[in-house]
Amino acid sequence: MNYENRQVPEGINVSRDHPLKEFFALLIGLLLILLVVIAGLSLIAERLVRFIPFETERRLAASVAERYLSTPSDEDALLVESYLRKLGAQLAAHQKLPEGISVTIHYQPGEVVNAFATLGGHVVIYGGLLRKMPSENALAMVLAHEIAHIKHRDPITATGRGLTVSVFLASIGGFSNSSALASLLNNMGLVTAMSFSREQERAADRDALQAVYAHYGHTHGAADLFDVLGSSGREPPAFLNTHPMSRDRKDAVRRFQAEKSTEGETVPIPAAVRAAIGSSSSSR
Amino acid sequence: MIELIVLGLFIVVGYIVGSIAERRHFHSIRRREAELADILAFSERLPPASTVPRDITLVGGNVVISIDFFKSVSAALRNLFGGRVAALESLVERARREALLRMKEEARALGANMVVNVKLETASITKGARQQVSAVEVYAYGTAMIPHAH
Repeated sequence: MNYENRQVPEGINVSRDHPLKEFFALLIGLLLILLVVIAGLSLIAERLVRFIPFETERRLAASVAERYLSTPSDEDALLVESYLRKLGAQLAAHQKLPEGISVTIHYQPGEVVNAFATLGGHVVIYGGLLRKMPSENALAMVLAHEIAHIKHRDPITATGRGLTVSVFLASIGGFSNSSALASLLNNMGLVTAMSFSREQERAADRDALQAVYAHYGHTHGAADLFDVLGSSGREPPAFLNTHPMSRDRKDAVRRFQAEKSTEGETVPIPAAVRAAIGSSSSSR
Repeated sequence: MIELIVLGLFIVVGYIVGSIAERRHFHSIRRREAELADILAFSERLPPASTVPRDITLVGGNVVISIDFFKSVSAALRNLFGGRVAALESLVERARREALLRMKEEARALGANMVVNVKLETASITKGARQQVSAVEVYAYGTAMIPHAH
């Protein structure tokens, strides 16, 4: 018998494949699966949301609305709110809201440059954004855009979709042994969900343009809104943004204007309202 | 989204540093295996019948090797889909060969020329609620035979 220890042959216990190849193959496979599942869940959410009556939405929002969106106390804010509601009602008439859906516009004085539509048909416009509007036409674009969200039932769709997607992601992440992978999955899921929200924003822009065109007979001044939005602060890159990029939204307006080229003057915001916005800068 | 970027950074750094460390370790292992080739190591329980009566003692070699971030994410991905976890295979291979070398080094230090009944024990060191594998530990031990000096 001959006892010996020979030199260890390499490559038997260890794979010759490059580790990066395996890593990227698995990662891309997982990304694709995520994409398909989230797309599926989003489409299902959009279909099913039609069955949630608007009345339920309103009740969901009621308690929050009572606490944060009470009628303004000072005269100036009241004046601005009634002006916004009047303009909003005119635009909504052009947008043909479905049966049972109503829009309530709220004015929040303060420095915040933002406007949003939420559950129950509530639309909130902040003083900071109002101050930056160069004309009534740009303001009408904002209002019509938010009313379009209500018309398309985007708030409840986003809520339902957000819930199903995060439950799905949590169940995958929960099974994995690595918290790093779980948070990686979370972020990838969020980025995918954002692309669906961008599509909703584009649809709202299209609807708003139609409404503004019907109300004023032209769309001049509507694109100014995106100049204001694009210039104020840093915009996140396209794939991390819930909205399309401001310059893309401006291009969409230009294309609409090219199709329906009309002449017209922009209407300024009434002086009394401007003064009221300027002075009621107290935040509640 | 900062989280994504930081995560990506950790993965890249883990990959670069980890693969450099692994290559250097394998070089070192091959070199020392050649140096210690004259010390025979077997897993047979009894020494060859022809061996001269000698001093006998237990020798052991212990090593703990940690997993790098890239390997950990790669292994977790593999865990979702199933199959060979190639990232951890190279880790265990390194640890096993290193443990055997350390055992031989101890044998050399004691003047032995043979180690019989070699056994290996592997343990994974885990941390956290999810029981994530953070390091692998291998202990190699055997009976060293020290020849009488002539």
